[in-house]
Amino acid sequence: MIAARDTLSLAPGVTVEHGRLTDAVRGDSWPLNASGAFVLARTGDPVGLIVQELADVFSLSDEAARADVLRFAWHLNVLALVNVESGASRSRRLADWVRLAARLAPAGAVPAAATRRRAIDTRTFRRAFGSCLAAISARVSVVAGVGTAVTAQLSLLAGASGLIVPLTLGLGTGVGLGFHEAAHAASLRGVPSALVTRGRRTYVLHAAVSPSRRSIVALAGPLAAAGLGMGLVVAGSIVVAPALAIAGCPLVAHALALTVVGGDGRVACGL
Amino acid sequence: MRALKAFLLGALAVGALAYALLTTLALTAQAGGHTLDVTIGPLVFVAVGEEGDAIVTTFGPGIVVLALVGGLANLAAAVLVRQRAAGRSDRVD
Repeated sequence: MIAARDTLSLAPGVTVEHGRLTDAVRGDSWPLNASGAFVLARTGDPVGLIVQELADVFSLSDEAARADVLRFAWHLNVLALVNVESGASRSRRLADWVRLAARLAPAGAVPAAATRRRAIDTRTFRRAFGSCLAAISARVSVVAGVGTAVTAQLSLLAGASGLIVPLTLGLGTGVGLGFHEAAHAASLRGVPSALVTRGRRTYVLHAAVSPSRRSIVALAGPLAAAGLGMGLVVAGSIVVAPALAIAGCPLVAHALALTVVGGDGRVACGL
Repeated sequence: MRALKAFLLGALAVGALAYALLTTLALTAQAGGHTLDVTIGPLVFVAVGEEGDAIVTTFGPGIVVLALVGGLANLAAAVLVRQRAAGRSDRVD
């Protein structure tokens, strides 16, 4: 969803030089045509303004210019080459989303989520882990909050009281996501990488590596999260603290990503 | 090698998850002072029982069987995925 007041920004690691769009993470570059270079030279300006300028300079109708700019910007956003920055408040964006969702509802569709790419510093193991955790912290909080709310609701329906179980499950779910992605990033030390979120999906985009290292990177995320979870479960059983073991369960569930059901498992199995 | 990897990863994933869930279940029962028997026919997964004054938790061979089933299921799924992928390479849409 791109609104007229939104602005475009090149994603971290993406540059425009000599009429080419270059992605340092993918290690690739693509030539830009005149209108593409025109749009990307105006990152930071509202999309509505870019549309007007494009229509004036290239003698296009407003409709054609709008369709051109939106299609181009959306395609680059899907490829995680351009981020869409919204100038509106969260509540305004939510209201816009609900309005658009209501219009799309008869078609059985929901508004497509924009892609967001964040920088990860992979110079050292610690920086990679820390910068990835920092990049994903907002999503971790949301997942933990939603997980807690859903579990609290189910817990109430089951007639249980107390917030310890919902809180530990929610926290475990959120921390598991952060730890999983941070472990992928840490195993990519020295490899240009970025964290990408799109709707419910979160992944680490990285430069090409050897097949054996690719397997290690794929295994690192689920194994680290499941290992931490197993540690919590074992610690909980030693000190007889069910809450600790409950918190570990969502983390251990990341082990399922080792199977071919998950993308990591398919990569690890060479599929 | 690929088949062995798929089997081991599947077994590890299902075994670890089963162990964590059953341990948590047993721990919750133990903390609440309840007894527990998770079995399917003769196959025991976990049992929490009283022995004198102590509460004892026993893990049965069910977890190993579950892990083996998980490994085989992952192996079968991997074979299926590879067959489908191979089928696509000579397809023209």
